[in-house]
Amino acid sequence: MKPRERVILALKHEEPDRIPIDLGSTGVSSIHAKAYYELRKYLGLPEKLPRIADIGQQLADVDRDVIEFFHVDVIDINRITEPKAPYPRRYKFTGVDSSLKEVSEDEFWVWRAPYGIDVEMPKYVEVLEGEDGFIGYVEGRPFGKIPKTGYYFWGLGHALADAKTVDDIKKYNWDAGKVSDDVVEILKKRAEYLYKNTDYALVNPFMGSPIALGAFRGLHAGGQTLRGWDRWFGDLKFRKSLAEAILDHLFEVMFYNIKKIIDAIGEYIQVQVIGYDDMGMEVGPQISVEVFREFYKDRYAEIIGYVKKHSKAFTFLHSDGSIFPLIKEFIDIGLDIINPVQISAKGMEPEKLKKTYGDQITFWGAAADNQHVLPFAKPDELREHVKEIIRIFAPGGGYVFANIHNVQLGVPPENIVTMFKTAYEYGRYPVR
Amino acid sequence: MGGYVLNEVRDALINLDMDKVLELVKKAINQGFKPLDIINSMAEGMRVVGERFERGEYFISDLIASAEIFKEAMNILEPLIMKEREAIKPTGKVVIGTVEGDIHDIGKNLVAMMLRINGFEVIDLGIDVSPQKFVEAVKQYNPDIVGMSALLTSTMINMRKVIEALEKEGLRNKVKIIVGGAPITEEFAKKIGADAYGENAVVAVDICKKLVEELRSKR
Repeated sequence: MKPRERVILALKHEEPDRIPIDLGSTGVSSIHAKAYYELRKYLGLPEKLPRIADIGQQLADVDRDVIEFFHVDVIDINRITEPKAPYPRRYKFTGVDSSLKEVSEDEFWVWRAPYGIDVEMPKYVEVLEGEDGFIGYVEGRPFGKIPKTGYYFWGLGHALADAKTVDDIKKYNWDAGKVSDDVVEILKKRAEYLYKNTDYALVNPFMGSPIALGAFRGLHAGGQTLRGWDRWFGDLKFRKSLAEAILDHLFEVMFYNIKKIIDAIGEYIQVQVIGYDDMGMEVGPQISVEVFREFYKDRYAEIIGYVKKHSKAFTFLHSDGSIFPLIKEFIDIGLDIINPVQISAKGMEPEKLKKTYGDQITFWGAAADNQHVLPFAKPDELREHVKEIIRIFAPGGGYVFANIHNVQLGVPPENIVTMFKTAYEYGRYPVR
Repeated sequence: MGGYVLNEVRDALINLDMDKVLELVKKAINQGFKPLDIINSMAEGMRVVGERFERGEYFISDLIASAEIFKEAMNILEPLIMKEREAIKPTGKVVIGTVEGDIHDIGKNLVAMMLRINGFEVIDLGIDVSPQKFVEAVKQYNPDIVGMSALLTSTMINMRKVIEALEKEGLRNKVKIIVGGAPITEEFAKKIGADAYGENAVVAVDICKKLVEELRSKR
């Protein structure tokens, strides 16, 4: 069975020949560059510098040899190593040295990362050393700082922290989040090329906005990014007109982007990410169902609705943490896929999730307890743990095997291999 | 204790009604209630909010909203109690910070706020705080408690460095040490020689009160 068919069957809640496997198709189901480097060494694969696909999280693009070794079924249409589409974006921007730069997405430079290895960074990214870390710039725009002993770039401040009125909100450059027509054209070419020239299931994890503008990745996360993680909660409770103004603008841009993207690539892709929107903590959801319904439900319903009405693509939402009651709300508005399914968070036990929601939504993730088991268990323990999870989630389809979020440094390569090997060997239908 | 209006303040806070709390605080002041009594009613309300959060009835959004109400109310009350401040001994003095290499502070800020609400004097060293800076702060401020926060498994090990630095300077026995943050566990706290582990901001306040008692009875 071809990978694309396998994934589609699973998403339709039918049982393919085995559970589909994802490593690297999104920025929440991939692997940190350092962990990737160690993995390649462990597997005895040809030595090469990890190529950075996600700047903030320092994720490596997963090469073809690793994809094949792990029997991965799904790829990002925007991959930057083979098998990739030959349509690199061109960037024109003013660099940190104030000179005009014109670079291709295909051009890289070598950076000695603070976590101790050399990586290939795209040339549209520049890094300046500061006194307590490095500042990263994307297309000349500062987007994050990595501490001298850090592993990732962290965001720099909150653009609307000081806003007091709806007029202040209006003044923010919302249009900067809108996807340009040239980028849409490139997405279209990529999606078509990979659809016709590979058998992989295709994901578009890109929501259209520039990397430096993280606010547009989700409604709740967007409010928090713009106002401050905690201040946003005060906005939802005490400054509702401000919150609604921000959400109206965020929604307008997100909907604009999804419409442009789906109109262009809807016929080629199998999965479109509609939000990276962390609504959970470990101990419970961040917000009540009532708050979700008041601010987010209808807006997400429109975004999801557009994808469903105009394509056959399945909609994918990423939300970390304990979100059990919110999953029902998303099912109500037609969400197809929930990710990463953090089974170690409160109320997110595999049996409970599968029993309550298993035939109404696809679980994309839930490979192993990534907080307590994956980094620490011996391979035999880990294998049994993964088998148990597969036994629970696999029946009836609606399950795509992926690590719960990106594989981090410190996870022994042996365990990464054990986890994916178990998925391939044990995840055959019918799963007993 | 107190009058009817103080109970109303407490209940309005429990119900997270900012406007009502501020209105009632002003009413209470006008009726002649002492600012400290009003604050105590609010602290009672915060305790109930904390309990509801622990039980899963309230969410982090509610906890943070309650802290915001408290802060707004304090803006009204603080000027009125400045004069009384010298007469009032703080519950204890805490130096708090996020350890070296780590830039997360939301949890730490919540703990600092809850401590202040409960009468502690809090010196917040911020984020990415080196062992040296912790040591200097202990020397300068003579706190009862040193609180350390970390969100990453890679930075939590720096907590041990701070404890070792304090030992080296002969300061370890002068303070109680509490640690917290997502990857921290009771086991880890014991392993590195901390005195306590605070699972969340609400629990941390109770622990700090006990730690201060322990320390003061020893002195």
